[in-house]
Amino acid sequence: MTSRFLLSAAIVALTGLAAQPALAQFKTQGVTDTEIVIGTHMDLSGPIKSWGVPASSGMKLAVEQINAAGGINGRKIKLILEDDSYDPKKAVLQTQKLIELDKAFSIVSAMGSATTLAPMPLVQGAGLTHLFPITAAEFTFKMDPAKPEDRLKFNIFSPYYDTMRLGIKYVIEHNGIKKPCIVYQDDEMGKNFTDAYSDQLKDLKMPEATRVSFKRGATDFNSQVARMKADGCDLVALGSVVRESVGIVTAAKKLGWAPTFVVSSPSYVPDLHELGKDAAEGIYGVGQTEIFYPDTATGKVKEFIEAYRKMFGVDPNLQSTSGYDGAMAFAFYAGLAGKNLTTESLIAAMESGKVFEDIFGGAPVSFSKDNHLGVSAATIGQIKNGRWVTIAKNQSYKTEK
Amino acid sequence: MAHHVRTDYGDSDPLFPSKAAVFWYAVLIAGLIAAPYLLESYYLSQLVFIMIYAIVGVALNILSGQAGQVSIGHAAFLAIGAYFTAVAQKHGLPLVLYLPLAGVFTGIAGYLVGLPALRLHGIYLAIATLAFAFIVEEIIARWESVTNGNEGLMLPPPSLFGLKLGTEGFYYLCLLVTVLVVLAAINIIRSSTGRSFMAIRNSETAARSMGIDTARYKTTAFALSAGITGIAGSLYAHKMSFISPEMFSLSVSIDFVMIIIIGGLVSLRGAVFGAIFMIMADPLLIILKDKLPLWADVVTHGLYLPDTVTQAVQAGVSRVVNAPGLKSLIFGIIIIVFIIYEPLGLDGRWQRVKAYSKQFPLARQRSARPPRMFLKSERR
Repeated sequence: MTSRFLLSAAIVALTGLAAQPALAQFKTQGVTDTEIVIGTHMDLSGPIKSWGVPASSGMKLAVEQINAAGGINGRKIKLILEDDSYDPKKAVLQTQKLIELDKAFSIVSAMGSATTLAPMPLVQGAGLTHLFPITAAEFTFKMDPAKPEDRLKFNIFSPYYDTMRLGIKYVIEHNGIKKPCIVYQDDEMGKNFTDAYSDQLKDLKMPEATRVSFKRGATDFNSQVARMKADGCDLVALGSVVRESVGIVTAAKKLGWAPTFVVSSPSYVPDLHELGKDAAEGIYGVGQTEIFYPDTATGKVKEFIEAYRKMFGVDPNLQSTSGYDGAMAFAFYAGLAGKNLTTESLIAAMESGKVFEDIFGGAPVSFSKDNHLGVSAATIGQIKNGRWVTIAKNQSYKTEK
Repeated sequence: MAHHVRTDYGDSDPLFPSKAAVFWYAVLIAGLIAAPYLLESYYLSQLVFIMIYAIVGVALNILSGQAGQVSIGHAAFLAIGAYFTAVAQKHGLPLVLYLPLAGVFTGIAGYLVGLPALRLHGIYLAIATLAFAFIVEEIIARWESVTNGNEGLMLPPPSLFGLKLGTEGFYYLCLLVTVLVVLAAINIIRSSTGRSFMAIRNSETAARSMGIDTARYKTTAFALSAGITGIAGSLYAHKMSFISPEMFSLSVSIDFVMIIIIGGLVSLRGAVFGAIFMIMADPLLIILKDKLPLWADVVTHGLYLPDTVTQAVQAGVSRVVNAPGLKSLIFGIIIIVFIIYEPLGLDGRWQRVKAYSKQFPLARQRSARPPRMFLKSERR
């Protein structure tokens, strides 16, 4: 019996080899006269749900507003949202579901690094666009000229590397720093920060000073802070997410040590001063958009906050804007593509160089044939009197002072 | 309990319990072979994940179910197999070579982990394997020249004999490997090695006094289990086409333990049932999420309820099914119910359903249980 099984299985395996995927072709699906289906997957119940839930809400609000205003060239957007719990395996299956069962026209603003990287070849293989994922990983926008399917991916998320580099450069140039140090989370994200740190110092012809790391989820930073204090650091770049950043600045305050701190996008959020209180005062931060506060917002941001509050019963935060911007940018470029919306016409519209500007005062977004990362500039802010105050807009580490 | 007449030593432990079983397994295999022609690749993908998880389930069954050793670090073996594959493929090794080698390499790692298992038992062994998983994750994250650290590695599609494996080709590869692994596992369990595993599980002292080299068999169990998981890791790496250290975290190891707990520790069938449950639960809940509001609509319309009620019901249903975290809740409840009411797992339930239908209408609650259990090894 065994041998018969083996034989049949082997024969089948060999015949199966003949099946080969066709060369990547751009494909259009999910567009009817009245509807455009877009799909996304975010973490709504796993470790990064504090990002996924508000981002998905922002996206839902954007879709609601776009449809209320008549849709895109008469077509309403149908958003299909799946919860991947930050599990790449689920993300792969859900992406296939979005492509094959829901016939999504595009995957827009999917979240996380591993959760977007694993399913990305599937999206490209299906000839569909993979737009504006909420991760800054290079894979999401970097193009290989030999691979035509790479033209299908676009991103508008400022890389952590860029924002950290800009922050270090700005603070060193404006505050007369002598000894810049870095404390970083020891993982993929942290590597972006340490790369930015060493590249920027090389650029400024300054020697590298103390580097200390911590593990994801660490709560005690006394030894790291004590070491940087002993080494006489006058700038500390925080390669960390909010909770750890607060832990570090609080530890410094306890030791009576007050260097200049600079944070990059993961910590450039209101929670930093809400949790850090006095210890967070004076921190510099770099991020994609200006930070808004419900009680002082004006104009379109105010309308956004009110609409969001009405729909979800809570105030929006910075994470909400990333989902909102993703859907809005999609609507902008799909609108440009005209009545004849296909994957090709969408790509042509995006590569046209037309600028998309969000309502939050973020850096303008534009793409070209050989650049699919839509943002090159960022905003610099500082915490003053317990609030982020924008001190410079449209900055980039590449531009001269 | 049915009784067989045995005329041969081989009869006491056949590969298949009955002729009917042979027939049904053949039907199953035929169905799986036909699947790519019948199903969309979304469902094919689910089957591939089920097969990969089933291979891991089989591996854990050998270790925990048969040899009675605990491991909550099997994600590490999956990672070793996956990274071995990525690196071997990068260096131009063919699939026919690196797939088995991934098993051998991981098996060696498993042997090394088995060494502390000689001294540790129960919860202490669990902690040792857990620590091992952390160490492996850490090594992968640090050894940047080989593993590309936390940034992860992209894998090109696998190719066999110069031909690129498409979705269907890869499916058949997984099917072939799964069938081979299951057959190998059945035979290991039937062999003297498998019997030694069981002896160790039931009583180490008794096993040793009967002349079983417990040290040797414990490390063998670890090596075998790790090796099989390594093969699964190789397939997993290709299926995901991207691997990074965070994909092999503790939660993955826990997933694996859940496969055998939900499926049932006592049989290899349980490993497959467990894998089906672990993979299919999520897609099923998603379908439920998409369809429930529609069904609610049909029901309310069918009852000729006023429009306001219809809308309210629909809004209510869609709010409930779209609530984030609902899936985790349902999943958690299912698992708790299982552990309390069906400790033998899905397979245990299956056996009882079968026995019930066979003995109908004479089946009684107690007839599902053997009258006396002398040893744990009577679990099959």
